[in-house]
Amino acid sequence: MEALEMYTTDDRSDVYTEELKLNLGPQHPSTHGVLRVELKMDGEVITQSRCDIGYLHRCAEKIGENVSYLQFTPYTDRMDYLASMNNNLAWSLTVEKMLDLEVPERAQWLRMICCELNRIASHLIAFGTYGIDIGANTPFFYAFRDREKIMALLERPSGTRMLYNYIQPGGLRRDVDDNWVDDVLTFCGEFEKAWVEYNTLLSHNRIFIGRTANIGIIPREMALDFGLSGPVLRASGVKWDLRRDVPYLAPYDEVDFEVPIGEGTYGTLGDCWDRYWVRMREMMESIRIIRQGCAKLPGGEVMTKKQKSMYKTPMKPGPGHAYMRCENPRGELGFYVVSEGGASPIRNRTRAPSFCNLAVLDQLLPGTMLGDAVAIIGSLDIVLGEVDR
Amino acid sequence: MNLLIELFAGLGLEGAWPLTFAYAVCIGSLLGFVTVYAMFAIWMERKVAAHIQMRYGPMETGAFHGWAQSLADALKLLFKEDLLPTRANAFLFWIAPAVVFCGVFAGMIVIPFAAGIQIVDLDLGIFFIIAISSVEVVGVIMAGWASNSKYSLFGAVREAAQVVSYELPAATALLAPILIVGSFKLGDFNAYQAEHGWLILANPLMPIAALCYFISSLAGCKRAPFDLPEAESELVSGFHTEYSGMRFSFFFLEEYVSMFVVSLLMASLFFGGTTLPFDLGGFGNWTEWARAETLGAAASLANATPEAIAAAARARTEAGPFADIGNLIGAHAGLAILILKTFFFIFVQMWLRWTLPRLRVDQVMTVGYKYLLPWGLFAVMGTAAWEVLV
Repeated sequence: MEALEMYTTDDRSDVYTEELKLNLGPQHPSTHGVLRVELKMDGEVITQSRCDIGYLHRCAEKIGENVSYLQFTPYTDRMDYLASMNNNLAWSLTVEKMLDLEVPERAQWLRMICCELNRIASHLIAFGTYGIDIGANTPFFYAFRDREKIMALLERPSGTRMLYNYIQPGGLRRDVDDNWVDDVLTFCGEFEKAWVEYNTLLSHNRIFIGRTANIGIIPREMALDFGLSGPVLRASGVKWDLRRDVPYLAPYDEVDFEVPIGEGTYGTLGDCWDRYWVRMREMMESIRIIRQGCAKLPGGEVMTKKQKSMYKTPMKPGPGHAYMRCENPRGELGFYVVSEGGASPIRNRTRAPSFCNLAVLDQLLPGTMLGDAVAIIGSLDIVLGEVDR
Repeated sequence: MNLLIELFAGLGLEGAWPLTFAYAVCIGSLLGFVTVYAMFAIWMERKVAAHIQMRYGPMETGAFHGWAQSLADALKLLFKEDLLPTRANAFLFWIAPAVVFCGVFAGMIVIPFAAGIQIVDLDLGIFFIIAISSVEVVGVIMAGWASNSKYSLFGAVREAAQVVSYELPAATALLAPILIVGSFKLGDFNAYQAEHGWLILANPLMPIAALCYFISSLAGCKRAPFDLPEAESELVSGFHTEYSGMRFSFFFLEEYVSMFVVSLLMASLFFGGTTLPFDLGGFGNWTEWARAETLGAAASLANATPEAIAAAARARTEAGPFADIGNLIGAHAGLAILILKTFFFIFVQMWLRWTLPRLRVDQVMTVGYKYLLPWGLFAVMGTAAWEVLV
């Protein structure tokens, strides 16, 4: 009888559960690098999260203040190592603005084609690793099959597979070979077929939708408040793409492409599936841009005399400052440079899209489950090399 | 089994010794079978995964398509250092892999690979398999708790919740064929299906029961899309994160053995067991032979009913003049047929694993309780009604 009373009273002071503190990272399969997230868990549900970054800090900005403008280009490769072309471009544009350099027309078009190819490669990684985050291993291999083709294409003019250092202030390092454009077009045809496969395999899979729709919702206001950019912003329904709104390369004005935004197809606007799907559609838009670029590619030089002279004597811009931003696969990458007339800038600042996009993570995690946390981190598509620089 | 006991008794052993030795031989051969099977299955999994992912998988070790890869891996695991995490509970950490493996391995002793090739013919064979397989959960919780790692603990708790939830639909779905045959003995299913055809075609609800059982068994084996206890993208490696070397390989072995057991149950309860759905035509009267052998074995038991003996005699007549030699081949053909069917279901499990994403914890529970359990119950009720009415 006493035992019965013990269980029928409302007093549960002797029964309690403790919050569990869980370290997600810095060594963890799905933090996409050395991100550490400190989670407080109530069972499977996250009650509080705190992002800890800095494990990959390499003083890139400080280094930029000690080397010449040209020498800093390879360092930009190593920020967002999945989109080195785009990083090179942003840096080159900044320096060109600083030095008032003219870029040959052919170089501009090739820059656009290379950057779009690199964008596809980067989104393929996002797609493949997102599959692994959700528990499907096979899409990763499909993605890498096609990424391999892009890397082979970009290796031909640049000589390297990942860290290209191809786009330089003033132009390109060298011209592409004669068959390159044809091979790029062949790749476009192959990729369009492969893209359909991806969607059959993952995009419209019921389990995948169940894991990503209505998870990690970023409303439009929140996206703007946190200064998000790139696919993460567009998935929340904001039609903002620097390629369209602030064409930093002349050819972007001359090609025709759509800016895909999230539509809340399977859930709420701005959920993980929307972010994923914006990336998937951007790949197809990039293919469109590449096709048009290859058709309109003009002849001529890709290097300027000024660029060649920089190899011997470092260029010294006059005192002043410049800021240029580009639409990277992960969002707006900006470089801010202040010069006092020396061979290297006195201040070199990077606005990294992954870093800004990551800021929203702590807002999204509480209330979700551990499995969702992995899905949300994956959907933000961060590169830690860029977050920490 | 009886043969072995007589053999050892004939050697002059007395008391409990013949039985002990007979069991030792049986368990030893079963263990050998399990090890060889697991090595093959792991190799097969790697090959299946590789080909789904447009790769070749292991190609070097052993020259022919890397057939010796699993062997090499097992050898490597054997020689690896046995690590114990700091502040782990040494005893529980130590014993957990054994508990996990024993639970599943014990289930194998009641499986009739073919007529006569069975260690113990329990009256409650299927019940025994379901019950003893659950012991595995205890081992997993031990492993998770003793590892002194939060990821392991998460994995263990997930496993406990999942296995407990999915035993309900699995057992419920299995009730449907049991209702039709009226027995828990696995051997009876072979005999019944030799006589009446595959159970999955017995009534329109059986495919539902089979599907419910198959999905539940995926969860029971921790296979994708229910591989939450070891979800590597969330929990690193789940409950066996801290294990290495031989202890880790026991968890691995357990997974493949339980895949074998559930696939075998699937094959023998729904898909005809040792029988084929068609005659092999001019090639030989295989099905008839196998049937005669299966029924003959049922009739040779001490408690065989006159009907069973009559059925066996009838089957023997139907099997024709080559039945004697046919019986011999038929028995082995039945074994081969059963193993092939089992491997087909193992292949389906692998196929699913390398295609589907993983569910979330709450979704796993939803699938179990909201879909599988009601559908399983529906199938059982329907089958019961069908048996009464039709």
